[in-house]
Amino acid sequence: MTTPPALQIDNLRFRYESSKADAPWVVDLPNLKLDAGEQMLLTGRSGRGKSTLLYLIAGLMEPTSGVIRVNGQDVHALRGEKRDLFRGRSIGMIFQTFNLLHGFSALENVLAALMFSAIKPTEHRARALALLDRLGIDQPNRAAEQLSVGQQQRVAVARAVACEPVLVLADEPTASLDPENAAAAMDLIQRACVEQGAALLCTSHDPAMPARFTRTASLENAS
Amino acid sequence: MTDFTIILRSMTTRMFSTVTTIITVAVAVALMLVLLSMKESGRQAFERGAGNMHMLVSAEASPLLAVLNSVFYSAPPRQALTWEKYRSIAGSFPWEFAIPIQQGDSYRGFPVMATTRDFFTRFQPHEGTPWQVSQGRFFEDSFEVVVGATAARVTGVTIGSELFLTHGMEQSRQRSWLVGGPPDPNAPAPHVHYEYNYKVVGILEPTGSAHDRALFTDLTSSWIIHAHDRRREANPGVPLATEADLIDADRLITGIYLRVATRPGRQLSAAQQQIYDTLRTDISITVADPHFEVGKLFNIVSNIDQVFIAIAGVVLVSSGIAIMLALYNSMEQRRRQIAVLRVLGASRMRVFGLVLTESAILGLLGALAGVALCFIGVQIVAELMKQRLGVVVSPSLEPVWTFVLVMATILLAALAGAAPAARAYQTAVIKHLKPLG
Repeated sequence: MTTPPALQIDNLRFRYESSKADAPWVVDLPNLKLDAGEQMLLTGRSGRGKSTLLYLIAGLMEPTSGVIRVNGQDVHALRGEKRDLFRGRSIGMIFQTFNLLHGFSALENVLAALMFSAIKPTEHRARALALLDRLGIDQPNRAAEQLSVGQQQRVAVARAVACEPVLVLADEPTASLDPENAAAAMDLIQRACVEQGAALLCTSHDPAMPARFTRTASLENAS
Repeated sequence: MTDFTIILRSMTTRMFSTVTTIITVAVAVALMLVLLSMKESGRQAFERGAGNMHMLVSAEASPLLAVLNSVFYSAPPRQALTWEKYRSIAGSFPWEFAIPIQQGDSYRGFPVMATTRDFFTRFQPHEGTPWQVSQGRFFEDSFEVVVGATAARVTGVTIGSELFLTHGMEQSRQRSWLVGGPPDPNAPAPHVHYEYNYKVVGILEPTGSAHDRALFTDLTSSWIIHAHDRRREANPGVPLATEADLIDADRLITGIYLRVATRPGRQLSAAQQQIYDTLRTDISITVADPHFEVGKLFNIVSNIDQVFIAIAGVVLVSSGIAIMLALYNSMEQRRRQIAVLRVLGASRMRVFGLVLTESAILGLLGALAGVALCFIGVQIVAELMKQRLGVVVSPSLEPVWTFVLVMATILLAALAGAAPAARAYQTAVIKHLKPLG
């Protein structure tokens, strides 16, 4: 039995419902395939639909046409709660501004992700603590907003990979960091994905990024 | 990590708003519970005073006034009955007891009731619960006095204490007619019966009735001290009066506690109504059914109660609106959190449920704080009622009412949370995940 690709996109097109019929496509991607554990960079200037593509893959937006499969599952064939649960269990997301839960500790931020996973609740705490420790967080009970930017990034990465997702989507994860910290953050993200066996689809317009990936694609000519 | 942890974090990050909302709900619930508690315990307190008597005969202007003065010591009765009238009534019907009472004197502001020993052996201030002494014994001879629990506690008298009674109520002489008004400089000085000293022989157990505020002595000694006043007015040098000096005009009483003979184990008699109707044909007396009068009084009061309870209900609804506003306003700050939870796998319905549960928890905490607050509130109100009205109430929270009110508060809070929860449900995930600024 062959393992399905982590991500398979066919004839994906998207434009906003409010757009005119002849308006250009925000996302126009004939096909894209990412095997399990594979890492890929999507480049393109701002406004080329990189973030929109990630939200489409996560099932947070509806495509105008086309199919997106994650681990063989047509994401948009799932409705409501089933899609939310699938996203929680199969896809991890990392944001430019981390989007950590305010008022929650570093540990609780990771536990919040595990709440929606298929992993036994009795294992959540130990698993989250081990993951945070591996990513260099030595004060897991400290409020997330009290951590340094670098540590917040680590918590965000831990949260994204905690549920052992098949796919991690990273949306401009280094955009707000200086080059040195950006490199360290990418090292962390890529290593964490390898360790957790997750495929990584990363968007960035940072010119230093392509060198880190064996596969890159550009959305510059998408529409 | 559970949904409860998420709710708890949400509440603690907005601590000020959470606490003020809980206080708002608590005050509303406490107000409602105090009113319900006082209503029930007030009724019980009034009913307790009338005890096992079936009727009260006096010469007061109305049955209600008779009950207020002769059972609740509201004021000394103004009209008297002769001993001949007492004997006539006592001998006319098959009474289980016919106990004469006389009021008019006081000790340090506490009313004194002169009566017979039957008052302690036959009359029960709370049906089924006879009198008990906590110290000493009931009076047996003239010039012996038994003190109610509250009167003993406040005045500090003990067994063996000797005291002088004051003619009339001292406070009413010292103060103007306006309750709580300033002392009246023209009021006559209180007349103290210094010629006769009484000896305290017993302290009563609390009964939870107005009787706890009274002192009890025998009729004969009361007649003697007033006979002495009568004789001294005619001749200031007259020696101390004794029982032998009593004339018919001295043997006055202010009321009669009556109970019709009943079959063993029964509280009422079939003849009661007929006797009541017959007595009422005598226009020289006022016949009152104390339980009926208390009920009538309470019906008047309960109309006011209903207004208060309605106001408390409005306050409760207002607290629900406060919950709604607090949560609704917090939604703006929480949209990013909700968006993140959605990305992590929380469904719209789960987010809706989180906000609704948070609202219900605010209601629950407010209700519980309200119950605690009520415990304090009823003590204050009970003390005020005792001091201002002389009504001793033992307020207690009716478990069923408390449970119903707590549940209603939670339901109301959950309803109030529906609008903010709907707002959370509709949160646009993409919009709120974008970098700020």
